[in-house]
Amino acid sequence: MKLSLNWIKDYVNIPDSMDLSKFAYELTMSTVEVEGAHDIKKSFENIVVGEILEVNPHPNADKLRVCRVDTGDDAPHDIVCGGSNLAVGMKVIVAAPGAWVRWHGEGEPVEIKNAKLRGVASYGMICASTEVGLADLFPLGEDHEIVDLSAFDVKAGENVATALGLDDIILEIDNKSMTNRPDLWGHYGMAREIAALYDLELKKIEPYSVPAGIDDFKIVIDDEDKCPRYIGVKLEGLAVKESPFELRARLWKVGLRPINALVDVTNYVMMAVGQPTHAFDSDMIQDHICVRRAAEGEQLELLNGKKLSLRSDDLVIADAKEAVALAGVMGGVKDSILPTTQNVILEVANFESTGIRRTALRYDNRTDASTRYEKAIDPERCDLALSLSMELFAALYPEMKVVAYADNYPKKLTPAEIDVSYDWLDRRLGKHLTQDEISHKLGLLGFSVEFNGDNMHVKVPSWRSTGDVSIKADIMEEVARMYGYENFEASSITTSFSGAINQLDKSLVRNIEEYLAYRCGMQEVLTYPWMKEDFVKAILQSTDGILTLPTPPSPEEKYIRSSTLPNLCQAVVKNERYYNEFAIFEEAQVADAEMVESGYDATEKLPRQRRKIGCAFAEKTNKLEDITLFFRRVKGIFEQMPRYTHMESFRFEKAEKPVWADNVAWLNIFVGETMVGSLGLLSKKASMACGIKNLAVILAEIDTELLVPFKSRTNGFKRLPEYPVNDYDISMLLDVNVTWEQIKSSVLSKKRELLRGVDFVDEYRGKQIPEGQKSVTIRLALGADDKTLTSEEIEACAAAVIKTLKKDLGAEVRGK
Amino acid sequence: MNEKLQKIREDGLAAVASAKNEIELQEIKVSFLGKQGGVTELLKELPKMDPSLRPEMGKKINEVKNELSAAVESRREEIKLKASEIPEDFDITLPGIAPLSGGKHPIKQMRDDLNDAFRSMGFEIFEEDEITSELYAFDKLNFPPNHPARESMDTYWIEGHDKGEANEKLCLRPHLTGGSVRYLQTHKAPYRFVYPGRVYRNETTDARHERAFYQYEALIVDKEFTFASGKVMIQSILSKVFGREVPVRMRAGFFPFVEPGFEIDMGCLVCGGKGCSVCKNVGWIEVMPGGTPHPNVLRSAGLDPDEYTGFYVNIGLDRLVMMRYGVDDVRLFNSADLRFLSQFH
Repeated sequence: MKLSLNWIKDYVNIPDSMDLSKFAYELTMSTVEVEGAHDIKKSFENIVVGEILEVNPHPNADKLRVCRVDTGDDAPHDIVCGGSNLAVGMKVIVAAPGAWVRWHGEGEPVEIKNAKLRGVASYGMICASTEVGLADLFPLGEDHEIVDLSAFDVKAGENVATALGLDDIILEIDNKSMTNRPDLWGHYGMAREIAALYDLELKKIEPYSVPAGIDDFKIVIDDEDKCPRYIGVKLEGLAVKESPFELRARLWKVGLRPINALVDVTNYVMMAVGQPTHAFDSDMIQDHICVRRAAEGEQLELLNGKKLSLRSDDLVIADAKEAVALAGVMGGVKDSILPTTQNVILEVANFESTGIRRTALRYDNRTDASTRYEKAIDPERCDLALSLSMELFAALYPEMKVVAYADNYPKKLTPAEIDVSYDWLDRRLGKHLTQDEISHKLGLLGFSVEFNGDNMHVKVPSWRSTGDVSIKADIMEEVARMYGYENFEASSITTSFSGAINQLDKSLVRNIEEYLAYRCGMQEVLTYPWMKEDFVKAILQSTDGILTLPTPPSPEEKYIRSSTLPNLCQAVVKNERYYNEFAIFEEAQVADAEMVESGYDATEKLPRQRRKIGCAFAEKTNKLEDITLFFRRVKGIFEQMPRYTHMESFRFEKAEKPVWADNVAWLNIFVGETMVGSLGLLSKKASMACGIKNLAVILAEIDTELLVPFKSRTNGFKRLPEYPVNDYDISMLLDVNVTWEQIKSSVLSKKRELLRGVDFVDEYRGKQIPEGQKSVTIRLALGADDKTLTSEEIEACAAAVIKTLKKDLGAEVRGK
Repeated sequence: MNEKLQKIREDGLAAVASAKNEIELQEIKVSFLGKQGGVTELLKELPKMDPSLRPEMGKKINEVKNELSAAVESRREEIKLKASEIPEDFDITLPGIAPLSGGKHPIKQMRDDLNDAFRSMGFEIFEEDEITSELYAFDKLNFPPNHPARESMDTYWIEGHDKGEANEKLCLRPHLTGGSVRYLQTHKAPYRFVYPGRVYRNETTDARHERAFYQYEALIVDKEFTFASGKVMIQSILSKVFGREVPVRMRAGFFPFVEPGFEIDMGCLVCGGKGCSVCKNVGWIEVMPGGTPHPNVLRSAGLDPDEYTGFYVNIGLDRLVMMRYGVDDVRLFNSADLRFLSQFH
């Protein structure tokens, strides 16, 4: 919201000595966020009043003129101008070199420089209203028309802002910071707050005194809860005309467009006291005013041309015949101010906040009025608005007659009263304030306090009683902010130490993340909790059991993440443009449609949600053996994971093929008998459906809630061998279907004293190997605790192993 | 002859000392001790000498021969020690080969930094489900029944669960605070915990607004805790995270679940508080709302608000990380774009 400092000063005498930035800072600290203080004069630097002395033709252009202009300098300047209304003696706006203007009122501001126009030097330019941001005050008539200031008492050379009385400071207040303070939505309310903060005097707005003997105006309120108060005044002898410049200038400064005097008064009052009002053409109103719920389907065309079909919980203002306005939101087009209006019914009313908000939202029709009503305005404020309105109308229309009046106020506001323990306040503030200090600070804000022993009985002023201040913590806040948050001394935090924080599950997940990132060279990503339909279909192949959003970010992204993999594949596609080898992971929560009890509230059921870590490894790999190596490298990451992250180890087994996986290259991951995840090569079909072009992709996903962290590090220690351990390589031919697992268990099947272990070395298939067979090389580790082995002992042990392999698996040794 | 020998000795020692490598040294050795070397030539002249002088001279020549041989060998050792197998034209300025290039997401790095900082102050880490009921998202947090945040324009409701009673209406959590109530319900006061996690709002995105963002909530509930202590807590955490003193200010703010509520600002680290484009020229950056938990929130956790008080902050990690690195578009964080993410090792 924009506030004019001069306007605030109408109501509170802020000393001129007040430093503006300090003022803005203090207001920010204690009340609302001041986002900026804008000096209007600054945007009119080098923009001055000029008086045209001569208008001469331009030697090279028919549509341009060369004007000799007095701009207050020692000698007049020549300015080239294409204005259609140029005349000698006319007072105009001159943007001298150094001024910033918007060229033809469009685009970004540009700086004016001395320049030649079609060969003639021009000292800046003579401006149209749009070029200097004054279009609302000087509506652009015909094209190429410049602003004529001849009617104003201004002198050549004066700064335009000063000359027109536009000189002011505009405070930009962050609306978000005052949603809970309906009392501040107007200059008077802000002045009241400032008066309290600085202990200054606030100018009183005297209530309107209703002239004796005028008619009673009939107002029927059908729904008192929705309309606690309605004041109607019938005025005659008015007319639609332009408001005085000063009034228009005020509206312009706070960002409103002047329209005509009748409408301008209602807007002025709203900006002054924060109370919306409305003016009806009383000749259009049939008989009386009725505030009621709309009939279902009742029609109303608003001032902005929107045609509404109303619902029964919309509140309308109606006459004897039909709805004439959407209460608190906007007037109807038929009955509001018309060009011919002479007689007016002025509405100053209070409406309940949530109804107004709902209605405004329903028709996507939020207005300055509805924004204020939404905040819950106190009905007492109607008095301020009425008084100010009547004063303005009387000043603008001296011949005006007040012919009828009524104040229908069925639901009086009860100001809040709150009891607060003085001792409680003391402890919570962490700062001792005397009763006098408290009474004084609260008193400035309009609260009254009575002390009775430890009890403080606080009466809240009406303008803070619509929900804003209702409990004792609110009172504490008022005291604290009046005292100034910065004035409380820092106090240290006391803690009762009750043992070290040891959260194994949290540490485990972090260990895994760090293992993947720092040991395995993977990049962590974050993606959205929803999945794109293409990827859901490509990876999960079915949308069954997946929760959806009724209002998704885009129609194809309605699926709530049930697996981390679709989004990771989407990320693979995205990054394929830039990289041909990368690996990413994401730790995220996934959900499915199955409902389970939340365990927090007996009645609460939530979708089943689990935390997962998903991984995607991508490499540009075409050769078969490279893909199998790629698979083994990825498998290695998961084989080693438990060791590095301190949890129960993994077992790999084919139990349940993931739908996205290649038919052969996949494994499930087990901890004990529990399946905790899977890894696998993304099938060609799924890969193509994702739109992956050249990359082989391996995916993996584990459920981190099923992992079992160790309570501490469980590594044992192996004594270093005193005598050499010998490597003994064996290469053998085997049937292609024999697995390493089979070889390993065959080697280890018999207890052999000298055998310390067996490792896989390599596998080969090719020219020298018969069809249907493969060559596998393994490495035995042989040694003894008490001696160095002789070659005979080594050979004997190896021979025994080979014999077993031959017997178990039909291995045919190719040599050492 | 004696003079000749002395000259050969001096020249020989000097030449050996100046030899730069083994090849040069070998040449020097040959020129003095070789078949046609100076010393050998002298020995050849020995038979022509007066026989009485021969033994004396022979001895001297042999001494010089031995001395030179020893000098050659010791120089050879010296040269060996200094030598390298590597060709001298090895380009030492070639770039190093990087280790594995993975990394954690910059927001998660910030989360971990904060976790470490808070853990060092005795806070527990809490995590909860991302899909929650309206009961916990709003009701237990003192949001009035018709609070704007409940509308679908702000919250992502779940299809098929977007109508009915508060415990039946489900949404992607719009903030973390509802989850905090779950913690309060299942633990015994006093509490001290942090709650990191992602939250979701139905908003239009641009460089400063996201639909998914990372929040970090910290909550203390105790019998005595003043907001002045809260300020000290915030100050120490931020200083730890940024590695230097960070000025903090608390000013009036309003949030339904706290009373009193604060906006907590930190001094802009880009300009040092002088005012710049990052802080919109005010020298301060709004980093978190905070305050004393609202009595109704404490009540919904089964606590007596007259007895208990506390302090709550909710830190927007996206904003803080943007500040840490000068990132100018919040949407990059959820882009999964490795060109961006790989910059934060």
